[in-house]
Amino acid sequence: MNFFRGVMGGQSGGTQPSGVETIQKLCDRVASSTLLEDRRDAVRALKSLSKKYRMEVGTQAMEHLIRILQSDRSDSEILGYALDTLYNIICNEEEEEQDGITDRAGHRQGGAQTGQGTDRAGHRQGGAQAGAGSQAGAGEVIRNDGLLLLQQLTKGNAAIQKIVAFENAFERLLDIITEEGTSDGGIVVEDCLLLLLNLLKNNSSNQNFFKEGSFIQRMKQWFQLGEESGGGWSAQKVTNLHLMLQLVRVMVSPVNSPGATASCQKSMFQCGLLQQLCTILMATGVPADILTETINTVSEVIRGSQVNQDYFASVNAPSNPPRPAIVVLLMSMVNERQPFVLRCAVLYCFQCFLYKNHKGQAEIVSTLLPSTIDAQSISAGQLLCGGLFSTDSLSNWCASVALAHALHDNSNQKEQLLRVQLATSLGKPPISLLQQCTNILSQGSKVQTRVGLLMLLCTWISNCPIAVTHFLHNQENVPFLTAQISENLGEDERLVQGLCALLLGICIYYNDNSLENYTKEKLKQLIEKRIGKENFVEKLGFITKHELYSRAAQKPQPSFSTPEHMLFDHEFTKLVKELEGVITKAVHKSSEEEKKEEEVKKTLEQHDSIVTQYKELIRDQDAQLTELKEQVQLLTRQKEQMDITITQQLSQIQQHKDQYNILKLKLGKDGAGSQGDVQVNGVQVEELTALRVELEELRTQHTLLQTQLTEKDTLITSLKSEVAQTSEGSAPASDNTKLLKEVEALRVQVQSQQAEISQLQSERHALQRRIQTTSGSGSEAEIVKLSELEQRLSTQTAETHRLQEEVRSHSESRAQLEKELAEANSTVAILQTEKSKLQQEVSESKKEQDDLLVLLADQDQKIFSLKQRLKNLGETIEDEDDLDARDQSDEDDDEEDEEDDGETE
Amino acid sequence: MAYAYLFKYIIIGDTGVGKSCLLLQFTDKRFQPVHDLTIGVEFGARMITIDGKQIKLQIWDTAGQESFRSITRSYYRGAAGALLVYDITRRDTFNHLTTWLEDARQHSNSNMVIMLIGNKSDLESRREVKKEEGEAFAREHGLIFMETSAKTASNVEEAFINTAKEIYEKIQEGVFDINNEANGIKIGPQHAATNSTLAGGQGGQQAGGGCC
Ligand SMILES: Nc1nc2c(ncn2[C@@H]2O[C@H](COP(=O)(O)OP(=O)(O)OP(=O)(O)O)[C@@H](O)[C@H]2O)c(=O)[nH]1
Ligand SMILES: [Mg+2]
Repeated sequence: MNFFRGVMGGQSGGTQPSGVETIQKLCDRVASSTLLEDRRDAVRALKSLSKKYRMEVGTQAMEHLIRILQSDRSDSEILGYALDTLYNIICNEEEEEQDGITDRAGHRQGGAQTGQGTDRAGHRQGGAQAGAGSQAGAGEVIRNDGLLLLQQLTKGNAAIQKIVAFENAFERLLDIITEEGTSDGGIVVEDCLLLLLNLLKNNSSNQNFFKEGSFIQRMKQWFQLGEESGGGWSAQKVTNLHLMLQLVRVMVSPVNSPGATASCQKSMFQCGLLQQLCTILMATGVPADILTETINTVSEVIRGSQVNQDYFASVNAPSNPPRPAIVVLLMSMVNERQPFVLRCAVLYCFQCFLYKNHKGQAEIVSTLLPSTIDAQSISAGQLLCGGLFSTDSLSNWCASVALAHALHDNSNQKEQLLRVQLATSLGKPPISLLQQCTNILSQGSKVQTRVGLLMLLCTWISNCPIAVTHFLHNQENVPFLTAQISENLGEDERLVQGLCALLLGICIYYNDNSLENYTKEKLKQLIEKRIGKENFVEKLGFITKHELYSRAAQKPQPSFSTPEHMLFDHEFTKLVKELEGVITKAVHKSSEEEKKEEEVKKTLEQHDSIVTQYKELIRDQDAQLTELKEQVQLLTRQKEQMDITITQQLSQIQQHKDQYNILKLKLGKDGAGSQGDVQVNGVQVEELTALRVELEELRTQHTLLQTQLTEKDTLITSLKSEVAQTSEGSAPASDNTKLLKEVEALRVQVQSQQAEISQLQSERHALQRRIQTTSGSGSEAEIVKLSELEQRLSTQTAETHRLQEEVRSHSESRAQLEKELAEANSTVAILQTEKSKLQQEVSESKKEQDDLLVLLADQDQKIFSLKQRLKNLGETIEDEDDLDARDQSDEDDDEEDEEDDGETE
Repeated sequence: MAYAYLFKYIIIGDTGVGKSCLLLQFTDKRFQPVHDLTIGVEFGARMITIDGKQIKLQIWDTAGQESFRSITRSYYRGAAGALLVYDITRRDTFNHLTTWLEDARQHSNSNMVIMLIGNKSDLESRREVKKEEGEAFAREHGLIFMETSAKTASNVEEAFINTAKEIYEKIQEGVFDINNEANGIKIGPQHAATNSTLAGGQGGQQAGGGCC
């Protein structure tokens, strides 16, 4: 399949002028003969010449052959000849290169003259010349005719469309379009665009290829229109732009698969194509039909794509002050003077902006709410209200549908819109938007107006029980609807009747029974009594049976042959499809059936609640389970820790045992053989006994000293009385100095006594050391610890055995282990307190001893001084103590003593 | 978006061997259990990376049914790579390989890289064609070979990527004339400027080869 390359490659053909005449004759026959056989013969003859006179046949016969392809489709024989001929023309043989430029030019002229000379051919040549300048040649003629041929071949034939695309047609066509000056180009550009449309329309495979080949990005430049676009808006330019816009729409058509459309929409935003289109939208001087088609194109580029919709919402018109594009467009929609198609396009754009766009819906509704109304600038909401209540029924319809699109699938906005209040004529209180709509409805305006309002109301209250309640709350509404439905009205009113039935049906279906007078049941009874079930259902059916219904149901774009046909909105047809069945069912259902259904519902609900209960139970149990699992984990971890402590302690105990054995051995070697089998506790006992003995000794010493004290006290008393007796006769002055001396002497005595004390202390140390040696070679503390640990060992080895078993069997053993550990600890504590008590006792007795010694020293001093006095007084006293004291005193003291002695002697 | 090279592939083989499923698995990572007969051809595309270079694969999945043969033949010439697929659970699809290969060799450019694929490797219990047979056929005819499963995605990536690697190597060796788009290879915008001289050199090499 090389023909496409041949066509687009612009190869030149052969050059033998001899056949020209024959070919011309044959062409005439093909064009003018009314007999198929005659035409067939002529084409066969052309075929036979086409190899030799490729160029001639190509320039002269192409158009005729193409016409044959169109008009004689039914005859395969002539088709075959025509195609073969075309193949021969297009198939570029290398040997035909010798063709010179001047020759080519000649041929082109010849071709132009000898051809049919139609406007179209003339245009095409002109276009080619304008685009390619002097290079235009016969090759171009063939290229241009090739475009026409391909247009014919690809029309409605997906297989050929794909092959042509595979042969890089997109690239070539886009190149030609660029070369020819895009929209400013001539009919060649138009032909390229038409071929592109053929290749892409309804061909998802080719669309995908086009997108994947990044050709969308190349479309962007088509829409870069200069401020002063050269040559203004020629008919050709308008046609070209029209086709270009159509090509964009083909790629994002709502009938394409949502995924494909979405990805094309994305790349159209990313490459700036959408932005470019919006610039045209807001530009001045754009012809109305281009503007209309641009609006339709923008609509489909943004439809359902949040990013593109958000961008669109941000576009401003370059007015002063800048106004949102949406507002500017809505102004046109509700403007009677604007062309009908433009108004439809704006409505479509608005719909596409709100399609699946909750954010956009909220923004539009908010411009109507009292809190956000901006008195300064014109808002979308104001324009919609204006349209809703204007005298122009087309505006009424458009505004109703537009507002309905702000509510689709958005119960939030349905509720919000209930808040909207409208100011009426001066002095009267404001009324709700809902009320105003029903008021106008009942005033019997034009069918178009009422249809629009009824569609708005149906959309508004469907799937929104609160809105249903609001609607029913107005006492006039139900009687109005029943009257409308039950009456026998003319053909014109049938659609209105159907819509009234739908509205009443919605009031039943979405009723939450909150109004006593208008419960589901009561409304159904009302239908039965006032209208009749069958009649109601028949009237409801008027909607879908309407001749314009199915057309609107086909595609989202509102397109009507005349303004009067503007009755159905696409989204609304979806709502009808959804509700017609369920409403019919709901009305037909007897109250008994409904009761049954209610019961079933109730049992189902009960079931549900049981299931919910069970679910909760399971959830609770699940939580418990997890909690228990966690506990188990915790316990296991604790057990492991305990195990570790136990092993540690066991090894410690083993260590101590070993130490103990070593000590025991040593003890045995030290000669305490008789004590070889002394119990561990015995060591302590022994030591205690030693300490007690020592204590006893110290106590007896103490008692001894006390008796001495008492003796000496009595002695002092007796001596005092003696002194009292003798002092009467002595001189007081000398007595004083003597006393001083006596004090000095006593001080000396104290010194000696102190020495005695230190001696006693060292004696005591020695004693202690002796005690230590007798109770083994280890230190006192070690022994205590050892015994303590031995004790623990005995208890704990037993305990450990038990604990190990218990731990293995159940986790309760942990508590016991702890208890037992505590027991062990308390024994240790008891032992420790006992030990410290003993130590305290020892230190107490030491202190006591010290006190006694001090006391003793005091007494001695007193005794000494008294003795001295007695001596001085001439009495003879035993002097051993005195002497002893002097012997033991320090040298310093000696000197002092000598001095003292000297003085005393 | 920007790519260094663009390769065109075709997928050929008897009807029902899983050509469309292989493409779907490669582009969308999905499997389609129902046989949706391909009418004519279907297009798919994906970007891969070889040697740190972005390579765009444009793939045409052809109809295996006999009646579409004349249409599908139109795609051979413009392709740089072909996946020739048979079904390991149906011997007849293996037996037809010779015809397919003849057809491909006749209509394609001589440098087209052909990857032989034994598909449905997940259906081991129903296997009718041994892997060794596929390997032998490939060796005999100078093809690369792989067994794949469009259902489990086993080897699907590899099949497409290895074919691209082979083409890429041929480009490096100067076998392909990358300036002729008719060979199913295109230099991407990312590459075009820097590669023009290289491409020229390769073109010269090729011309030299032609002389010998
Ligand atoms: N188990 C299994 N089934 C597969 C596999 N690949 C494809 N199939 C199934 O085989 C059937 C045919 O697959 P397709 O991909 O449509 O076959 P095709 O080769 O495109 O067929 P044509 O379009 O007619 O040429 C479908 O039912 C697939 O589900 C696979 O790897 N494993
Ligand atoms: Mg298929």
